Amino acid sequence: MNMPDMNKMKQDCPNKQECLQLLQSILDGEATAAQKETFMKQHLQECMTCYQNYHLEVAIRGLLKQKCSNEAPEELINSIKEKVIKNLGQ
Amino acid sequence: MEEEVVRNQYTDAQKQEIFDMEFMPHINAMYNFAYRLTLERDDAKDLLQDTYLKAYRFIDSFQQGTNAKAWLFRILKNSFINDYRKKSKEPSKVDYQEVEAYYNSEDVDRQITPDLRVESLTNMIGDEISNALNSLDVDFKTVIILCDLEGFKYEEMAKILDIPIGTVRSRLHRARNLLKEKLSEYAKSMGYKTA
Repeated sequence: MNMPDMNKMKQDCPNKQECLQLLQSILDGEATAAQKETFMKQHLQECMTCYQNYHLEVAIRGLLKQKCSNEAPEELINSIKEKVIKNLGQ
Repeated sequence: MEEEVVRNQYTDAQKQEIFDMEFMPHINAMYNFAYRLTLERDDAKDLLQDTYLKAYRFIDSFQQGTNAKAWLFRILKNSFINDYRKKSKEPSKVDYQEVEAYYNSEDVDRQITPDLRVESLTNMIGDEISNALNSLDVDFKTVIILCDLEGFKYEEMAKILDIPIGTVRSRLHRARNLLKEKLSEYAKSMGYKTA
């Protein structure tokens, strides 16, 4: 994304929630190429609210991935494997 | 499973191979899902073990080449609802349908416009986001986990959760607003300006 000219941007978005839903579909890989093109290349360049929302959404996704994962304890993995092997042939 | 179930007759060797090659690689993601749902390490272990043993028991209804991760997540989610939610000492005090009806009402979008800034997120280097996620109602945190942590597509999520795609989309939107609201509270309590 090009760095937009902050001074020329609208400060408020009349369709904030609709835009946020579209933005989320884009980031989730669920929007069409045309929707993505229009939103990213046009709307984000001129709307401060959505521009900020874009960065916030990206940051939250990054933080979730970084902070909200847990690995299964090794002994649990081994115990599951053992139980399955015991069940083989039954 | 509602959709047509084709039962296979795998040999023991095939079963073992499917289990090792298709099911086990998802064990960390599955454990994380179990932990986020139960919020107790011991319950998460039991739920994970039950799910994997169930997956093994029903392995003949798993089609090789289909999405094993989605298949496993669906079993785990159903086991949680059927076995763990009932057992829970403190069942959800809020009826989910009421919650969803509330969050689907038009007014809420106007009310929930969390004023959160990227800069305050960069200061959340501890457990803030994890706690915020855990604090959400189970149906809301589930969609965030499936989408943002596990990368499932809306269509896969609809199958895992037995809900229409439109509901996946709107529930995700509400869930993310609620998560931001929580994060915004943390940001305020940490003394960072939110707007």
